[in-house]
Amino acid sequence: MSTSAPRALPGITIAKSAPIWRQGTPLKMKAYGQALVALAQRNPDVVCLGADLTGPTETDMFRDRIPERFFNFGVAEANVMCAASGMAREGDIPFVNTFSVFATRRSLDQVALQIAYPNVNVKLVGFMPGLTSPGGPTHQAIDDVAIMRALPNMIVVEPADGDQVADLVEAIAEHRGPVYMRIKRGELPLCIPAGTPRARLGKLQPITSGADGTILASGVMVALALEAADDLRVAGLDVGVVNAHTVKPLDRDGVLAIARTGKPLLVAENHSVIGGLGAAVAEVISEAGIALPFGRLGVRDVFSEGGTAQYLFQKYGLSTAAIRAAFEGLLPH
Amino acid sequence: MTRPDTSRGHNVSLDFLADRARFVRLETLRLSRIAGAGHYSSTFSAAELFAALYYAHLRINPAEPRWPDRDRFILSKGHAAIGLYPVLADLGFYDMKLLENYTRLGSPFGDHPDMKKIPGVDFSSGSLGHGLSVGVGMALSGRVEKRDFRVYCMLGDGELNEGQVWEAAMAAGHFKLQGLVAIVDRNQLCIDGNTEQVMSVEPIGDRFASFGWAVQRIDGHDLEAVMAALEGLKPAGEGKPQLIIADTIKGRGVKRMELSLNWHVGNLVGEDYDDAWNEIMAGLQPRVEA
Repeated sequence: MSTSAPRALPGITIAKSAPIWRQGTPLKMKAYGQALVALAQRNPDVVCLGADLTGPTETDMFRDRIPERFFNFGVAEANVMCAASGMAREGDIPFVNTFSVFATRRSLDQVALQIAYPNVNVKLVGFMPGLTSPGGPTHQAIDDVAIMRALPNMIVVEPADGDQVADLVEAIAEHRGPVYMRIKRGELPLCIPAGTPRARLGKLQPITSGADGTILASGVMVALALEAADDLRVAGLDVGVVNAHTVKPLDRDGVLAIARTGKPLLVAENHSVIGGLGAAVAEVISEAGIALPFGRLGVRDVFSEGGTAQYLFQKYGLSTAAIRAAFEGLLPH
Repeated sequence: MTRPDTSRGHNVSLDFLADRARFVRLETLRLSRIAGAGHYSSTFSAAELFAALYYAHLRINPAEPRWPDRDRFILSKGHAAIGLYPVLADLGFYDMKLLENYTRLGSPFGDHPDMKKIPGVDFSSGSLGHGLSVGVGMALSGRVEKRDFRVYCMLGDGELNEGQVWEAAMAAGHFKLQGLVAIVDRNQLCIDGNTEQVMSVEPIGDRFASFGWAVQRIDGHDLEAVMAALEGLKPAGEGKPQLIIADTIKGRGVKRMELSLNWHVGNLVGEDYDDAWNEIMAGLQPRVEA
């Protein structure tokens, strides 16, 4: 389930799981793979490194179009992290592509000491964050944001929308220093309305505003938060949705502006509630001494199991309905 | 002192190199006293290697530490930095006076080297097992950019217990990184004892050869042999990463430290300091096996 290609068993096709978003949500496929090739065609310093996950990290396009700058290190994450560091020291801009769990937990010492500490220009791209992986705890990164956020010099981003991927790829390439980007593989929703100001690294991206409160979300949770806000609107509540595509550095002023309204604020993330976006937002608000109805929605300090994302999002409280219920729980009774 | 030019390989006398190896040991004593502790024995085993590499072999230019065509040197056994710092100062990368505050608050010179703070340090190190992988990346970049520099990486023998070293060895063989040179300071001891009793690393040469490396093995305290090995490295284009196994003695140069488990980190004071100083000044003496 976690390997690069479906097993070739004659007569058996692997069922494609239903998306976690509502039917009819427009989707974009392999936005990252396309964006990386486009970036590398403009910037000759970009090199692409991987660890035997070329298809699942959408870098087959890079391998086929720019083979002289594509390096596959096999199943050896510790090695590829340090090699990327060496290449960055030489002036290249390595994008290292693997699953989120391997970019963070598996190779933490290498990432911390050869990438974050020397502040080299390596971009780590981790796929299948949180419960978007069907592979069970071995392949579900529910702690990657917490880990990477704790590393000095490390920037942490997560695109919410298929069209946002290229913007963030461009932005992290322009930032000189280490970045961790977590991204769902395959299809991403096109959920940010045309006309919304584009993502800027380190700034919150308001998508809608609401007089009755705000849902601040990251990654795949943004589209679900927009669905929940639609449902709340039907129920008579005007709730805004804000995309926190940059978890670190968190947009402190943006968070405080939301908090100072005093309206309920729910933070929704596809990650443990410990150490991720919700925790980061809580830190900012509590240090500013602001009191408001506040909640964190995410994985509640448990390991999940294997299953479709649709099933796991229901079971572990990350669904549209769960977001709506959590927000309603913040309202005065 | 300054080196005559920036090409790789210099015709300097073995006596001169022996004098520079002695300088490495003496400076290790001096700096350890400033710090109150130091990695004596792991540095003493590498003293001849440092001298041969930096004074007779590497293509470097102290006036331009980040010269793109320089040979890179990664001290993967970062705890021997105390022996590298004075060499870089001696060659003119920075003022020797800076070492008077070695490891003191605010000093760029810590127990392990920091590339962001020290000219001539090509990569930060200290966590064992990472360096050869970094070297793989640098050698790949050299290939992408069509530069002919070499990347030299010095590893400890205990470090070979780290699995990542073998990931790097595998990748270097796979990518046929002829510009990558690994040097193992085979000083026989890790912290807990003899490597072959703690976790055996032999046969090192066969192991690397099976990963696609060209291997030489020499006495790492015999400067003539060290120079022959360095000069015997194949030029770029031969298609194999290259390994030099330098058989050395941990603590070499101060009898009480030789193959002793007590001096990985230590602090010589008083008469002991003076005795060690005099012993080093007398030069390496033939070893009488117990």
